[in-house]
Amino acid sequence: MTRTDEPTSERASLADRELLRRYHDDGDVGARETLVRRHLSLVHTLARRYANRGEPLEDIEQVGAIGLLKAIDRFELGREVSLATYATPNVLGEIKRHFRDKGWAIRVPRALQELNARMSQAIERLTSELGRSPSIAEISAALETTPEEILEALEVASAYTTLSLSTGPGGEGDADPLDTIGSEDEGFERCENRAALEPAFAHLCSRERAILRMRFEEGLPQIQIAAQVGLSQMHVSRLIRRSLGAMRDQLG
Amino acid sequence: MSERISLEAPLDAAFGPVVRLIVGGIAERADFGFEDLDDLQLAIERLLAEAGHEGRVRLDFQLGAGRIRTRVGPLRESGLADALQAPDASPGGGLTLGRILATVVDSYGFELTSEGDVLVRLEKLAGGTPA
Repeated sequence: MTRTDEPTSERASLADRELLRRYHDDGDVGARETLVRRHLSLVHTLARRYANRGEPLEDIEQVGAIGLLKAIDRFELGREVSLATYATPNVLGEIKRHFRDKGWAIRVPRALQELNARMSQAIERLTSELGRSPSIAEISAALETTPEEILEALEVASAYTTLSLSTGPGGEGDADPLDTIGSEDEGFERCENRAALEPAFAHLCSRERAILRMRFEEGLPQIQIAAQVGLSQMHVSRLIRRSLGAMRDQLG
Repeated sequence: MSERISLEAPLDAAFGPVVRLIVGGIAERADFGFEDLDDLQLAIERLLAEAGHEGRVRLDFQLGAGRIRTRVGPLRESGLADALQAPDASPGGGLTLGRILATVVDSYGFELTSEGDVLVRLEKLAGGTPA
């Protein structure tokens, strides 16, 4: 900011405050919309920092705009900061959460990401329709693609970051619904077999432990586990694989 | 249909996804369902993970009608035979490699070579796991 900008900036800040007052004190929704329009350029600027990371810029901007809305809603008129200053961490936080929740650890071609998402839905639907796990050929036919692309998209799943199973859909603050599944980690942890992986079992979160118990102690197929824990079958598959890998790594 | 496919790969974790992709392709040719394919991939992945990260491994696949037989090895014996012992079926029997394999494939076995290495056989049937 230059000195010559200051009067303009101050005027803008005063205008923001008046709009914020009208929104918060008078319930003027139009004032809120005006504030959003006035600060969309901030969202665009911040969103561009996260461009080329495998997500369309428009999507990032939309997520950032949610952060802006939250900042407007939470702003307290007694604050000594400008709305732009207050909104910046809100917008960035929302964008970062989006990337964390999407979970793409590395850049994966968008087409494969999309195919991966469609595939998960197709597997659920076909499993329900067929009453069994669909073949790759059936999945590829349903999605009008080739079996090779399906296999490649399945492999893309391993590009997901290690999202904690305790992280609910709304973020870190959410309670883990699977805390209610199974009261104790009995069974695996009682084993004294030196070849066992149990020493690392305790390092998993409650949902991971619950899923491993269901799969390897109770012998439930993925589809039943998915239904019990409210995840897709593909997600359950990824979590089993990741949990076993993490346990192995833990043991060195 | 009876086809044989052989693969030799480094035991480096970086090649894990390559092996998994090939196993997936083979399972697809056998018309395995998603979960069966995933199970076979997991079995081989866990087996190779227990075999360390040095050297090479050979995988031989035999595709039959609705089944895939896989031979993996020789793998260096460093507690692998212990880990592969048949799982204790009782509650609290422990999450061992043997238990993982017993869950995700229809049968498995292993033998020690004259050099003291381990050869593992896996058999996976299409539709072995009900939906």
